[in-house]
Amino acid sequence: MRRLLILGTLVLGTVFLSALAVRAENVDLSTVPSRNTVQLTIYNSEDLTLVRETRKVTFKPGANPLQFSWANTLIDPTSVELRFLTNREKLTVLDTTFPHAKPQMLYWNVQSEMDGEATIEITYFTSGISWSADYIGIAGRDESQLNLEGFVRVNNNSGEEYEDAQVRLVVGRINLVQKIAELARITPQQVTELGVAARDHYRVAAVKLAMDMPLSDAAAAPAPAKQEEPKQVAKEGLGEYFIYTIEGTETIRNGWSKRMRSLEAAKVPFKIQYRYRPAEYGDQLVRMYLLTNDKDSKLGTTPLPDGVVRVFRENGRDGLSFLVAQSVKYTPIGDKIELNLGPDPEVIFDLIKLRTWRDNLWMQLQGASVFKKVGEPGVAVEVNSSVVGWSDHTLYGQRVRNHTKKPIDLEVRRTFPGYVVFRSELPVKNYDYQTVEYTAAVKPAEKIDLMYEVVLHQGRLAKQNNVTIERAPVKP
Amino acid sequence: MRSRNLPLWLAIVVVLALPSTALARIKLITLPVRERVEIQLDNPNATLVEEERIVPLVRGVNQVDFSWANTQIDPGTIVFRVLGGIDGGARADAKAGEKDRPALDVKVLSVSYPPNEPSLVWQVSSSGSGSARVRISYLLGNLNKSFNYRAIAANDEKTLVLSEYIRIQNLANESFGSTGLWAGFGPRFLKPIGINETREMLVEKYAELPVKKTYTCDPGAHGYLDRPQNKLLVPMHYVLKNDKASHLGAAPLQYGKVRIFQEDGHGGTAFIGEDWGKFTPLDDEMRLYVGVAQDVVVKRTIDKNEQRRVAGNLYDREVVVKFEIENFKDKAVVLDVSESVRAIRNELYGDNGRDVQWELGKSTTFAGGPDKEKSTFEKLLFHVSLPARGADGKAEKIVHKLHLLLKNEW
Repeated sequence: MRRLLILGTLVLGTVFLSALAVRAENVDLSTVPSRNTVQLTIYNSEDLTLVRETRKVTFKPGANPLQFSWANTLIDPTSVELRFLTNREKLTVLDTTFPHAKPQMLYWNVQSEMDGEATIEITYFTSGISWSADYIGIAGRDESQLNLEGFVRVNNNSGEEYEDAQVRLVVGRINLVQKIAELARITPQQVTELGVAARDHYRVAAVKLAMDMPLSDAAAAPAPAKQEEPKQVAKEGLGEYFIYTIEGTETIRNGWSKRMRSLEAAKVPFKIQYRYRPAEYGDQLVRMYLLTNDKDSKLGTTPLPDGVVRVFRENGRDGLSFLVAQSVKYTPIGDKIELNLGPDPEVIFDLIKLRTWRDNLWMQLQGASVFKKVGEPGVAVEVNSSVVGWSDHTLYGQRVRNHTKKPIDLEVRRTFPGYVVFRSELPVKNYDYQTVEYTAAVKPAEKIDLMYEVVLHQGRLAKQNNVTIERAPVKP
Repeated sequence: MRSRNLPLWLAIVVVLALPSTALARIKLITLPVRERVEIQLDNPNATLVEEERIVPLVRGVNQVDFSWANTQIDPGTIVFRVLGGIDGGARADAKAGEKDRPALDVKVLSVSYPPNEPSLVWQVSSSGSGSARVRISYLLGNLNKSFNYRAIAANDEKTLVLSEYIRIQNLANESFGSTGLWAGFGPRFLKPIGINETREMLVEKYAELPVKKTYTCDPGAHGYLDRPQNKLLVPMHYVLKNDKASHLGAAPLQYGKVRIFQEDGHGGTAFIGEDWGKFTPLDDEMRLYVGVAQDVVVKRTIDKNEQRRVAGNLYDREVVVKFEIENFKDKAVVLDVSESVRAIRNELYGDNGRDVQWELGKSTTFAGGPDKEKSTFEKLLFHVSLPARGADGKAEKIVHKLHLLLKNEW
């Protein structure tokens, strides 16, 4: 049910002194022009939607008061703007009035030099409309390709029902200095108390993006004569953002949400890698699906907005296995999509400490103690000293057992605080100053021990805080 | 319309005259029943339900309502797929006559989620009037599984029969008729499962599994039976290896309670203990703590504790741990003696936070030295063969020593 909106009461009083004077009369006659078109531009990074609607209004020469009200909605009163799309040179907004004790209402006093119809456009920001993306990936039984579908879901809790609206979704992060939901709660009287910067600054980016873009042709496209097809979602880049435009128009009722497919890619190739990265995945070896958002992977036409990816796999029994649900961040074109499927019970990953020893011991001399036994000549002298520097050597075997039927690629990252030498013949490199990364391939049914020695310089020998890699054989 | 006993339902609303999402006030609703249900229990943390229904569609746009009152369905996981069934013609298992019908082109246009209702509405377009087979998959909460085992050891305790059961508890407030149930391994079961019903099924029965019976003393892990007398607790374990040689090795053994019985030699069985069997990957061992072996007595004392100053506060230390072992059983057994070198150092000198640099001393008496496969630098494992008690009822006292040289300690 329409809670509100708007437009315009065109008051046709007999005396046209001013808009306020008109409103003081007790007997009014109003017309209520209906919406012709409405466009929603929805931002997913903020609770912000730009609404642009057009209506046809008949003006008479002289002053024409227009009332615009938005009871029980979440419109930001500072954002409401009126423009004339036709007869622009004959129509002027003389002033805008926010009446006392009438929240969520304003009057425009329009001076007309014509007698006839004009198309007006009203724009405003509202909160309560949001959109989100999600994805469903279904991997084949052999886990080399997956079918990926992306969806956009629009949620309307704005208090207003938008029928047959063209829907555009903005992918990207805009900057706002005040939340629209906050602005929607202030009274019109407080509008003037807002600084100009506060009113305008946050609008600039969004308005530049969305206001100047015309309603797309898709919005006006006639209904297809044949079987109705899923709507296409046109994607185009704009500055730092991407705009998804849903074909045709949509009606999104207040309180409802609607989900539409925005992406479909079949047989997307991916790789499997086993990773040990405690900082990212905890203290466990996890299995990853690695995809790339590029054309070679049958993707790459658009950045992928952040959202939840749910991954299934054909289980070979005419059904699916659920693998994981994971939130992924915004993925630019060409970037990787990494899906963590968790530990694989068929791959065993144990770190075994094989030997520990110390060398390079340094003592700090702290004087001497002299002892004398009663009744005997001479003295005993003991030098006092304590350990102040040493090197701890630890030999590790990273034991990996692959009980799967496929060879696996393994990547291990380990962080060693302190002044460390990492000694091994493994293909190892520094990931950062205190983290090493090495890789290995493990054949099916193979058990391997990846050997390395860690030398930790302690005490006065700890002159650095980094890891140095030495390629050298190590033996248990 | 909605039955309390059937909280999960699918309805097809014919909206011939309304190509848009506008809801018709006068509705004709058909309620397609489930044709097939599969419950996939292979994910350790989630239960996936897949159900197939034959949905009558009219040419044009159809509204398919799906609701799940009082059930815990994650709506984000609902996947709606149109199979090539009935009128699709491509489905391999289509019934006679179904293949001959022209294929329907069925497409999902959008999904709408009404406010404050556990339901959704698919808008589906169809190229003609006819029926389509659709599959709806979703994660369902409160439909849980667990595993448990029953082991019957032979009288000589050299083999056992292991039965693995899956137990499915349906607290999902939804009943399922004849439903395929699959745990990711083993057979697929076709069973009904009602609301609040628990169903247990035999997944696999493994016969003649070789079982290793072990006696272990490990002061760190198992502690003492009698601390003042320095007598260690000696638990008895059954050890099963999950590999082909042990007639297992097809899949990991799931976590679950194992109840262990032993044939009593008179055609019956006796319950001898139970333990939680840990998740056991392939090639690993499942160790089951059956009970305490009080007939194997192990007395542990520190026989030697000396230190030699290397310089200043730097010392080398020498420790001998003595084990006096008696087997009062009437058969020979093997005792596993396990010691943590770090725990010994901490016991005698406190924990300085550093790893122990150690060597095995010459006075160590365990034949063959530490078990090369199972010992690590931090934990040593020795095996000791113990003869049966003598004919006079007396047990031979066997003494072993663990001689450790701890170096560069401070």
